Amino acid sequence: MKKTIDEKILDEANSWIKANHKVALVTVIKTWGSSPRQVGSKMIVNENGDFSGSVSGGCVESSIIDESLKLLKDNKPFKKIEFKVSNQNAWEVGLACGGEITIYLEIIN
Amino acid sequence: MKKQLLEQILIKKKHKEEFALITNILTGESFIFEKNKKIDKNFEKYSDEINNYFNNKQNGIIENTDIFIDTYLRPVKVIIVGAVHITQYLLDYAKDLNFEIFIIDPRRYFASEKRFPNMNIINKWPIEAFEEIKTDSSSALIALTHDPKIDDPALKHALKNKFFYIGALGSKTTHLNRCQRLKESGFKEEEINSIHGPIGIKLGGKSAPEIALSIIAQLVSETYKS
Repeated sequence: MKKTIDEKILDEANSWIKANHKVALVTVIKTWGSSPRQVGSKMIVNENGDFSGSVSGGCVESSIIDESLKLLKDNKPFKKIEFKVSNQNAWEVGLACGGEITIYLEIIN
Repeated sequence: MKKQLLEQILIKKKHKEEFALITNILTGESFIFEKNKKIDKNFEKYSDEINNYFNNKQNGIIENTDIFIDTYLRPVKVIIVGAVHITQYLLDYAKDLNFEIFIIDPRRYFASEKRFPNMNIINKWPIEAFEEIKTDSSSALIALTHDPKIDDPALKHALKNKFFYIGALGSKTTHLNRCQRLKESGFKEEEINSIHGPIGIKLGGKSAPEIALSIIAQLVSETYKS
């Protein structure tokens, strides 16, 4: 468990909101196998595609940013996405590390 | 998530409270769970499971439901005795870790606000200083003055209160002498052996930032053992 970690992502989310940005909060809610980031790990994305934090070791962040931008544009409140192990021969998004994760995206409004 | 909820979470974090954020990932609803407080009526039927997760300091989705629990733990209390050069680097390394740090030093020139801006710094002898800090077995002590007058009373306090981590700076000889004094004060050998002395994991470096890094590494490692 994240005993000694205090990620400042939520503080940063708050300061982005204060600066009038639209913010999507992204959280790892489930993991299988050797996924790099534990359940509860977070990242935030704003309407410009700026992001902070992480939900994997860089494997799925780009895709999450696209999904977050869609969410913010369509003004949908939340979404759940699952990422599986990637097929190394295909140009698809996935976890090269062999893990699987479920991600929850929500707009802070 | 509502902005107001985010603000409430940040206030609770600032006040070092322990709580959990509960989210229904099917409806998007969320609320803050606190021990011994009434559970939001939409989540009432999961009360037992939520309490279980919280008590085990666990994050995750309750099995066969759409309820996600994200637990926020109180920071580990770390008391540093000695507002010395190493302490300044310890603070640098610790700033992104979940530690609540207090610095004790009775020496006025050391414990100055200018050297340690915006820190919990107590310019008193350890015995008086510990009256202001509530400590228990989930606290840690880093003793850095290697002056028995200052370090020893703090070490005794930490041993009596069964801190999960106690480290003391000083050479092997300094540490042997320290152990002898504690023995003469009536502490048992196993208690004395629980002190990490010389403090820190072996990195090889002898400069202040390198020693600070070795101390922080040891402290984090011990935090996950306890």
